[in-house]
Amino acid sequence: MPRMHKAANFAMAGALVVNAWAQHASSITYDNSRKVRLKGPVTRIDWANPHAFFFVNVQDSTGTISNWALEFGNPLDLEKDGWKRSTLHIGDVVTVDAFPARSQAKQAFATSVMLARTGARVFTPANKKALAAAKEPAPRWPDGRVSLGAPAGKKGYWGAASAVALVENAGAKIAMNDEGLLLNLADADRVAPFQPWAKAVYEYRQRTLLKDDPMARCLPPGGPRQFHTANGFQFVEQREVGRILVLMGGGDRNWRAIYTDGRPQGQADEVVRSYYGNSVGHWEKDTLVSDTIGFNEHFWMSTGGLPHTEALHLTERFTRPDLGALNYEVTVDDPRTYTRPWKGGWSVQWVPNEELQEYFCEENVEATFVR
Amino acid sequence: MLWPGLLCAWAMFAQQGHPLTGTWTGDWGTTATKRTQITFVMNWDGKNVTGLINPGPDSIPITSVFVDPTNWTIRIEADTKDKVHIAAEGRLADLGSYHRTISGAWTQGSAKGDFKIARD
Repeated sequence: MPRMHKAANFAMAGALVVNAWAQHASSITYDNSRKVRLKGPVTRIDWANPHAFFFVNVQDSTGTISNWALEFGNPLDLEKDGWKRSTLHIGDVVTVDAFPARSQAKQAFATSVMLARTGARVFTPANKKALAAAKEPAPRWPDGRVSLGAPAGKKGYWGAASAVALVENAGAKIAMNDEGLLLNLADADRVAPFQPWAKAVYEYRQRTLLKDDPMARCLPPGGPRQFHTANGFQFVEQREVGRILVLMGGGDRNWRAIYTDGRPQGQADEVVRSYYGNSVGHWEKDTLVSDTIGFNEHFWMSTGGLPHTEALHLTERFTRPDLGALNYEVTVDDPRTYTRPWKGGWSVQWVPNEELQEYFCEENVEATFVR
Repeated sequence: MLWPGLLCAWAMFAQQGHPLTGTWTGDWGTTATKRTQITFVMNWDGKNVTGLINPGPDSIPITSVFVDPTNWTIRIEADTKDKVHIAAEGRLADLGSYHRTISGAWTQGSAKGDFKIARD
């Protein structure tokens, strides 16, 4: 019987519980296998991205009052579900069920918030399905080429990805939670064709619940990870200057350029290394093909902790079969990390009639890391 | 006055590739007080870890590095210009940290001691 990845198992159980909530509890920060019930008056509300918090004075059996920080989701998601900052007021008495922090900090992730004055539960998800774009043809430029952006005169951006993490063979069913933690660590062999050192590093990251994830420290999500961060992304095609910008709504809200002006790819040993690398692109019929080298080693290229080296070479293919879908396929070639080139990918859903919202990772780092 | 900020920023840029790649500094010695500073520069080329000890005019090329990723034990061997053999056997600690360390036993010719290096 394969050894169970216990930590991930707890996280998976937790994820099943809190997926109904607007945002899942980070496994490294919160212990999803335990629950606490807290009651007291609200003393402060931080309605800030990416993690909203409220603070409650909780009195214990000895009469000692402690101030707890309660994370309860992402304000953008909460507002989409109809909740506002004014849903809760300073002084409101609430009863909160929550996953406590793994540390000794008076911090927890709320899974249920009940207002004492009304008895109503607040900040519950609307449980509505994401707006699915109608099955309409993909928008096209006047010359007939597919556009990766919104149709003329309309709004929209690319939202949720169909996969949690990058794995070899997009159809492979490997059980993992929303953070890319494997339910069974023995499945690591199925994730990618790792060299021994890379498998050991990947497994270490999994066993330690991704505690060293650079993105959790607000560093950019380089490589494929940029296409499955919270709050989506959009393409801005600047055809007049021969480049396509990829604007990310999540992470640290930055951007990447794919040059389509015909310039050659740089020399791998000479390009300045960066999080997003040096990308040159061209079109193969309706598919944008991007070739990227020049990555630094400061990021994890996928949720779940896939390693790479500066030798990483990505070939990405973006295909938009209709208005509502984008198929992303990436070939990973890093002979210092993997035993052979391999492919993975996912599809991404178009979010019609909405703008990419601001979701800035660093905004409340103090609340999430310093406390 | 900018240094504290710069140091904080620098500390965030952890290298996430092969755990041995990079520059490491520390010391070795036969006693707690008799120490010699050492600098290692190592790089993973996909098949082997190569590198130097004490880069500069008196650098010592590393002749072999053995890594067992199942427990992160490491053996590094080199020979000085004077043909004195160096063997450093240790274990990598704090794998996920930018300032991970390698510490263990150091043999240089007939001298035996210990060493500890941390990634810069």
